[in-house]
Amino acid sequence: MATDPGLERIQRWMQACILDQGTAEEAIASEKAQAAIPAEQARSVVLPSKTLSALERLDIYRDMYLLRMEEALSIDYPSLKHFLGPDEFMRLVTRYVEMYPSRSYTLNRLGDHLPEFVATRDDLPRKEFCHDLARLEYALTCVFDAAETPPLAAEAVRALPQEAWEHARLKPIEAFRLLDFSYPVSRYVGAVDEENPFPRLARKKTWVAAYRSNYNLHRMDLAEPAYGLLSALASGKTLGEAIVSTLTRKWRPAVKQAQLFEWFRDWMAEGFFQSVELAGDRS
Amino acid sequence: MTNRWGYPDLGFGVGLRSVHFQHILQNNPAIDWFEVLSENYMDTGGRPLHVLDQVAERYPVVLHGVSLSVGSTDPVNFEYLKKLKALARRVKARWVSDHLCWCGVTGLNTHDLLPMPYTHQALRHTIERVRIIQDFLERPIALENASTYLEFAASTWPESEFLASLAEAADCGILLDVNNVYVSSYNHGFDPQAYIDRIPRDRVVQMHLAGHTNKGTHIIDTHNDYVIDTVWKLYRYAHRRLGGVATLLEWDANIPGFDVVHGEALKARQFREQEDAAMKTPELAEVPAYGD
Repeated sequence: MATDPGLERIQRWMQACILDQGTAEEAIASEKAQAAIPAEQARSVVLPSKTLSALERLDIYRDMYLLRMEEALSIDYPSLKHFLGPDEFMRLVTRYVEMYPSRSYTLNRLGDHLPEFVATRDDLPRKEFCHDLARLEYALTCVFDAAETPPLAAEAVRALPQEAWEHARLKPIEAFRLLDFSYPVSRYVGAVDEENPFPRLARKKTWVAAYRSNYNLHRMDLAEPAYGLLSALASGKTLGEAIVSTLTRKWRPAVKQAQLFEWFRDWMAEGFFQSVELAGDRS
Repeated sequence: MTNRWGYPDLGFGVGLRSVHFQHILQNNPAIDWFEVLSENYMDTGGRPLHVLDQVAERYPVVLHGVSLSVGSTDPVNFEYLKKLKALARRVKARWVSDHLCWCGVTGLNTHDLLPMPYTHQALRHTIERVRIIQDFLERPIALENASTYLEFAASTWPESEFLASLAEAADCGILLDVNNVYVSSYNHGFDPQAYIDRIPRDRVVQMHLAGHTNKGTHIIDTHNDYVIDTVWKLYRYAHRRLGGVATLLEWDANIPGFDVVHGEALKARQFREQEDAAMKTPELAEVPAYGD
């Protein structure tokens, strides 16, 4: 009878072999694998079949691991994959999961560190563009999974006296993110989704709201002052404070009152806010 | 034949998949029940959960997980169990199932259904964990035989006996995946009928069927195609041995339209009816044996 290394050592060994990105021979000789089972014993841990050697059988699990990780990240980062192409994306995934293997029971969280990882990869083509793209796609996954918070009802808006709006705090829905970019990545995502033609990939500051409405994902391109105003509101400022801190400085000449009304009309229609409360009224 | 918990034979269901959401909500297809991948709905407040709530109002739902990691030597993940329990309550899950496997150790998750060494130590360990899990969930769980691609030299008994012993000692149910029995029998060279013969019938609460990919040297459980004839024959054999058990068709890659998946699931009804008829006619009863 073969020696039994014990359950814990077998599991640590097999996991180390699966996560190792060398050949099966290199995997069983790796430091982590050998910490569980020495390489000279490793060949006898797994039985061969009639058609496959022990290491070939181990390779089935090793091969499927990276394919599974790539598939999961492709779902969350389709535009990044589109830009990089399948081979470069696979190389990125391979390096990424080496540094950030899954620690969650759900693959939905596998890509949480991808934007910050992309920012460190000097070998990526157009790294800054890729970073912006990854940030947007990560935000979209967060918006997709965020808790559902019903949008502010029109009655609640109408119920607030006009003079009270200056002191009103508008709280965004949970499925809402504001982002600023150095490249037109929202248009790139739209092009991958066949919403619009591909944009030029030249540097261009852009501002985007990513949000969910009726359980569907949306992106809204914003003007810089609109982004500033929404950011101030999202940080908890009252409407009066938000306008003073943003619009009265840099953009006062550019933003007319009519424009302001138009923005709020669109934001309300899209369900950006979940509640309105007056300053001091936190009930 | 009912199982010891009285879980009903729900009939013939399919896995709830996002590509079919719209079809299901718009058409209310006449399907008996749905199986739901637990982890896809545990950490989201978005559209999937919204759809699941509606589906659960209209159809019986069963939860099927892939990250319980029942055989792992890591500590039991109670955060995971808490969310699983809440989801089961929310959708009024008829039962909860996962796999006889481990998914990772040292806090990591490979997101694979990794094989166990079938040893006495592994059995004692897994029995203890299943008991803890069931105590926390306040319900028995059903464990599925996973497709496996390697065997450990340390194993001292067949998987079917390990699973049967585990179910008896931990007092849990069994989800018999007929396709996985076939896949593992091909990969390891055992008799699939003998495997089914060792499964205690009063512990089987559900059966799975699926397509797979034959690589020549081995088979991968890919859930990407129709069920092959040999697996249908094995399903008839399992039905003869186990009686009427809720049956679920899995199709997870290259997923066709809902009606195609549902149609494949309904083939199971035909095979069951054929088998029931054959059992009433002794000369026919010999016909459908596996391998004919």
